[in-house]
Amino acid sequence: MSLPSSESCAACPVHNLANLRKLGVDMENWDYVVALAGNPNTGKSTVFNALTGLRQHTGNWPGKTVTRAEGGFHAGDDDYKLVDLPGTYSLLATSFDEEIARDFILFGQPDVTVVVVDATRLERNLNLALQVLEITDRVVVCLNLMDEAKRSGLDVDCRRLARDLGVPVVPTSARYGEGLDELLQAIAEVASGSFVGKPKRGGGHSTALDLAVTELGDKIKEGFPMLPNTQWVALRLLDGDERISQAVLTGELIHLQEELAKSSADDQGPADQADNTVVEAEDKLFSAVNEMGAGILEVASELRWKVGPDFHQVLMEGIYTEAARLADRAVTGANERRRFDLDRAIDRLVTSRTLGIPLMLALLTLVFWLTIAGANVPSAMLATLLIDNLYVWLREGAMNLGIPWWISGLLIDGMYLGTAWVVSVMLPPMAIFFPMFTLLEDFGYLPRVAFNLDRVHERVGAHGKQALTAVMGFGCNAAGIIATRIIDSPRERLIAIITNNFSLCNGRWPTQILIASIFVGALAPAYLSGLVSALAVVTVAVFGIFLSFGTSWLLSRTILRGEVSTFHLELPPYRPPRVLQTIYTSLIDRTIYVLWRAIVFALPAGAVIWLVSNINIAGISVAEHVINWLNPMGLFFGLSGVILLAYLVAIPANEIVVPTILMLIVLVNPVAGFGEGAGIMFELDDVSSTATVLQAGGFTLLMAINLMLFSLVHNPCSTTIYTIYKETGSAKWTAVASLLPVAMGFALCFLVAQVWRLVASYG
Amino acid sequence: MVNPSLALMIAAVFAVGAAALFWPERGLYWRWAYALRASERVLSEDALKYLFDCEYRQLTGTLHGVTGALGISEDRATGLLGRLQELELVESSAGKYLLTGEGRSQALQIIRIHRLLEHHFSEDTGMDAAAWHREADRLEHRTSPEETEAMAARLGHPRFDPHGDPIPTASGEMRSVATVPLADLGPGDEGLVAHIEDEPAVIYKELLAADLHIGMQLRVLETAPDMIRLMVDSKEHTFSRVVADNLSVSTLLEGESLQEPFETLSALNPGESATVVAISAACRGAERRRLMDLGLLPGTEVCAELQGPGGDPTGYRIRGAVIALRRLQAERIQVRRHTVPIDGGATA
Repeated sequence: MSLPSSESCAACPVHNLANLRKLGVDMENWDYVVALAGNPNTGKSTVFNALTGLRQHTGNWPGKTVTRAEGGFHAGDDDYKLVDLPGTYSLLATSFDEEIARDFILFGQPDVTVVVVDATRLERNLNLALQVLEITDRVVVCLNLMDEAKRSGLDVDCRRLARDLGVPVVPTSARYGEGLDELLQAIAEVASGSFVGKPKRGGGHSTALDLAVTELGDKIKEGFPMLPNTQWVALRLLDGDERISQAVLTGELIHLQEELAKSSADDQGPADQADNTVVEAEDKLFSAVNEMGAGILEVASELRWKVGPDFHQVLMEGIYTEAARLADRAVTGANERRRFDLDRAIDRLVTSRTLGIPLMLALLTLVFWLTIAGANVPSAMLATLLIDNLYVWLREGAMNLGIPWWISGLLIDGMYLGTAWVVSVMLPPMAIFFPMFTLLEDFGYLPRVAFNLDRVHERVGAHGKQALTAVMGFGCNAAGIIATRIIDSPRERLIAIITNNFSLCNGRWPTQILIASIFVGALAPAYLSGLVSALAVVTVAVFGIFLSFGTSWLLSRTILRGEVSTFHLELPPYRPPRVLQTIYTSLIDRTIYVLWRAIVFALPAGAVIWLVSNINIAGISVAEHVINWLNPMGLFFGLSGVILLAYLVAIPANEIVVPTILMLIVLVNPVAGFGEGAGIMFELDDVSSTATVLQAGGFTLLMAINLMLFSLVHNPCSTTIYTIYKETGSAKWTAVASLLPVAMGFALCFLVAQVWRLVASYG
Repeated sequence: MVNPSLALMIAAVFAVGAAALFWPERGLYWRWAYALRASERVLSEDALKYLFDCEYRQLTGTLHGVTGALGISEDRATGLLGRLQELELVESSAGKYLLTGEGRSQALQIIRIHRLLEHHFSEDTGMDAAAWHREADRLEHRTSPEETEAMAARLGHPRFDPHGDPIPTASGEMRSVATVPLADLGPGDEGLVAHIEDEPAVIYKELLAADLHIGMQLRVLETAPDMIRLMVDSKEHTFSRVVADNLSVSTLLEGESLQEPFETLSALNPGESATVVAISAACRGAERRRLMDLGLLPGTEVCAELQGPGGDPTGYRIRGAVIALRRLQAERIQVRRHTVPIDGGATA
């Protein structure tokens, strides 16, 4: 290779070999290096794959745990190495990813930096492009996801954007392979120098800032006249950027120029490199640079007192505002007006003072009614299948195979039966409730519900969206917890998670309905008993809602006081729901997922129930021991030992509380004609038989009421506890969310029991 | 069975007792733990801070002052100052106590931690402004130098705390910033709020209640010997002189001017539109970033679209999306209303 002159020869690569080597990029066999930058979720990896095909491999950024993908492609006569930078929203280096991306562009000096931008989110994505343009001129903007933009009715004027930015803007749909040829061409033009980018930079600051930047910029130019972007360096120093400060001090920044000159010296051969004068000159250079750098940093430090406390913010906002301005100029939305007016008309109806809330209540009632009514038949069918048929068949099969009673007992009577119960109770309501809920969500109605209810939530320190997660919790608390992801304010999210348990989930409805029918309905004349028991259950559910508001208020005033809180609620456009797709995703995402988790927890629960009832110590089962031991405490709280043990073993799943209670009662005082055996849960077909068994077990009205209350206010089921832990990642908040309701439940039962007895003693 | 009324009474006593002990911040348990923390090291550091403060304000540091500032007995203060003199952090002459070079740099370090903590509270947490100082006072003694530097790096090495006080750099430099006490200004003078003194607490609370924050735009309307009337971020306030003494202002440079009077977004009714002027300086940290992310930047057009049944929240159209914000948030966004002829008539 002939000696390149130190004047820039247009087609020569500008990348910094030494720094690239430090960054772990080996440029042997490659002509140019291209960096691929962009926000997360812009299809950057699709672009990467489209350009490199199979010529890629992954590794790590040196010294960091962040992975890096590297690949290559051939275009024209040249070989290009493509380095995938981490997806970042900005380059202000507040996270490792941003630091890596910024350092690569600044010190590695890639021949081209391609910034991938989401055409449907232009004003957000341009932030990064503008920041990249502050560091280097050699940029190509890849405007990706053009297919989605077209589908949303957006029209992007790429030529205007390219003029405004001063660099090539190439529209692409990487997923469909469109626009990639033009992209390659633009890359080649910028790399070879046949296109020279002319980005417009800077300006628009306040006078104080401009003065400071100019003063510092002059000082930097004094020391390092060859530096092309002194204004940017001055801004970074004034912003307190550690990395850049360090680079100024060590002279890393100016070495960019020296490297270029030295690369010509390198080619003179190894013999000359041993020349002492070269080394000496280098040393002198180092110390001179150091002194200069220190001087610059001192001036910067002095100026930082003058630029005021809001400097960083002003910088950030300047970039944001400019990005927004450019996006506004380039993007126009088609069909916006017509759809918009329709949406507003619907909104005015749905959020009106008179009709808004009644409409909402009517819809919710409809959803609940459909769930309960619709689930009855499938639940019965599943029960028949799994319990009346399959279970019996399994038992017979086990007997025929001669399996010892305790294995078949544990596996079939315990584990299988418990799981079968949970599935038959849980599956049908969820399969109806979740799809309906998701349809409403898809349609766009749910955010309006949050909008209507936000005022009352704000009063207690919660977010309007908590209404949605609470409604979800009426289906299943674990699903409700997952739903809290829609609340991005940390404090409000925790409140929603902790109070979700006060939503009466599907698994607890059978308990409530049964107990209410037997004990509360029985108090009313026969023709009203159905209505009265329904009202009782509704009262309990509404009480749960009040409790969740009260607890939200308490939490936001005490332990969640100092947490960060930000509110916003987007009201997306209405759109016709995609019915089949919704049913599919809600079945997979919510129903099956939660069901699987429930099974995982129900199996051990069934095992424990069976074991506890069948293992005998001193002639009595462990269960009976525990019941006797817990009885005094239970009665004190207006419950009983049986109830407490049932709740203890039913922590994994609320569905099996009633069957377990029945089984335990019969275990301890056998009732003629009832019961399937020790440790085998059962249910009875009619209400009056159940009443007989319960009364035989010593159930009183007080116990029944407290059971209903405790069922509402007790610890979340283990599936929910596990979900809380997964969602919060914090053992502390999981403990709070699990123990707080239990403590409240006991306090509530205590109060009710004492007041009841007090009143009774006067009656 | 336990007598129910007895059980209820015991429960009530228990509940009241628990509240008295553990009530956040005021409970007896917390006060006791706080008093226990007043260890030797904590007192020394507080004493150094106090003496530095005296130096900064050009007052003399006396035994009496130290006793008052730290809330300890005179005997204890004497002993403390004696030990500080032995450690060569403090020297005394004629009843006056002064910091030595070493004492000064230690004081600066404590002040650095304190002010960084306050900055952290204002940016990263939802803590009340009134609690910043107290919490910083508590935590400054327990934050190690490594934690401090990590926090400073994460916050971007800020030079000012949320009251406008300079934060000493890691190498111990601190510059007093050129501000003008409000008392020195006359009617018509303009500037930005540069410093809000946080002691005495009672006056600070009054300033906080008026929703004042550094960076806000200020114009003096009227002065009198006992009061001063101001326009701060387009809201009028009247303060007594005592309160106004706690405010300092930075004057504008040549060529800069305050933005004209503006309204807040909350003043828009459905159907009305405006252009965003700025987000109030009082809005910081995550909340501010959220609003910026939503597109509420200078120059953006906003239109109020619909209101919730209770009057709150309100849905605003911002760059094509409809976003609902609460009234408290909308009051932080400064806008200039559009004057558009409605039904043929022009609105002023």
